[in-house]
Amino acid sequence: MPGSGALPLGYFELGVAALLVLCAGFVSVFFRLKLEQKLAVASLRTVVQLLLVGYVLAWVFRIDSPWVLFGVLGIMTAAAGRAAVARSSRRFAGAELGAFATLVLTGLVTTFTVTGVIIGVQPWYHAQYVIPLLGMVLGNSLTGVSLALDGLLADLDEQRDRVEMELALGASRWEAARDPLRESVRRGMIPILNSMTVVGIVSLPGMMTGQILQGADPLQAVKYQIVVMFMIAAATSLGCMGVTLFVFTRLFNERHQLRAERIEQVRN
Amino acid sequence: MDGLLVDSVTLGVPGRVLLRDFALRVGAGSVLGVVGPSGSGKTQLLRAIAGLRDVDAGSFSLDGQSRDAMHMPSWRRRVTYVGQRAIMLKGSVRDNLERPLGYAAVAGKLDLPRTEAELSQLRLDVALLTQEARSLSVGEQQRIALMRAASIAPDVLLLDEPTSALDAESVEAVETWLGAQIKAGRSAVIVSHDAAQIERLAAKRVNLKDFMPEAEHAG
Repeated sequence: MPGSGALPLGYFELGVAALLVLCAGFVSVFFRLKLEQKLAVASLRTVVQLLLVGYVLAWVFRIDSPWVLFGVLGIMTAAAGRAAVARSSRRFAGAELGAFATLVLTGLVTTFTVTGVIIGVQPWYHAQYVIPLLGMVLGNSLTGVSLALDGLLADLDEQRDRVEMELALGASRWEAARDPLRESVRRGMIPILNSMTVVGIVSLPGMMTGQILQGADPLQAVKYQIVVMFMIAAATSLGCMGVTLFVFTRLFNERHQLRAERIEQVRN
Repeated sequence: MDGLLVDSVTLGVPGRVLLRDFALRVGAGSVLGVVGPSGSGKTQLLRAIAGLRDVDAGSFSLDGQSRDAMHMPSWRRRVTYVGQRAIMLKGSVRDNLERPLGYAAVAGKLDLPRTEAELSQLRLDVALLTQEARSLSVGEQQRIALMRAASIAPDVLLLDEPTSALDAESVEAVETWLGAQIKAGRSAVIVSHDAAQIERLAAKRVNLKDFMPEAEHAG
């Protein structure tokens, strides 16, 4: 069996794995966390969503049409854009579109740089490479974008008096917004910096683990993982910068005024 | 045309017109007092003059130069708004005083001897300079905020309740300090609830009640 892929799993094996979730359910009951129902729903969602994705991926690979592929990429990016905004406790008109546009730009640029230039896949939009890579890029950069967005809106909302005080003393909108903007990008980049720091020591990334399970040479798996980490780092930092600049242009006008009234609170 | 000129200003907040067809003129070296009931738009008027908010109609100029033709930060450097609630940035009092001097539209250096003289004029300890600005009392912060605004050498100070957090002695000190600013050729627009203060400081007064739309008078 070595080198020929992981041992195949059937539905019986999945059922056995479900027993592991029951452990979590037991903990919930024992401590009266009342999380059993949520846990059940979450488990069910995991199964349904992943199986669905499995069938969709199999179909997309079989069809092998650029139209279908780019449709899938569009849906993935739109979902990521929604998720990036949905977690935020504040929003403003156009936030979702901005997050989407940012993720499209940074996600697609970094992913296609990797497939087309670094790995050299033929063609550069080969679904088997593009979809999983874009998935990892979006999954990670959306966290960064979401943190950057949420933090920046909170800062500008809570510090509107401070920003306005600086504007009143002759600061340009850039000078007045500099600290919150910088802080926002920094906040968004912390998770990826953290995971780059501990990767291999504390955590073995899922993709690398998967390749090793498949019987790949660990060094090859590591090299892929390095490329992926760098790709995610680039996408996250560009994404944070992009969304931060977008918020800046939406909430400050050319008369150097802060339009804090555009920020809406969201009750989650 | 000399001084600050505000003409035909109409401004409101969502759902309500605050002022209609408002006008004022403040010549160099003079003080205009703005009074009016709570909610009549005193603060909004000062913010509008500083260009921190938009108006529905109206024009603003300084020494004949229209605000629309100016870079907004440069306008605010010359027509400077000081809010009622003093806001201190992280860092020492000195950091706070130096902050605006670093803006491109201001670009200056802190005149330390003058700063120290001003501090004692405002009944503040010179040792405050190295202290954390946010640890100061509200009254101390209010005076530092006034100094900070004056340090960028504006032509017009727009002061919103400049002595609201001060005791009687400090009020007197601030009024003396302001008198010196005016003597130096600066002008000021002052909003105050203290009618006696307006009486003491301002040769001219304007009551916003006279510019409220008719409908609001009844209510």
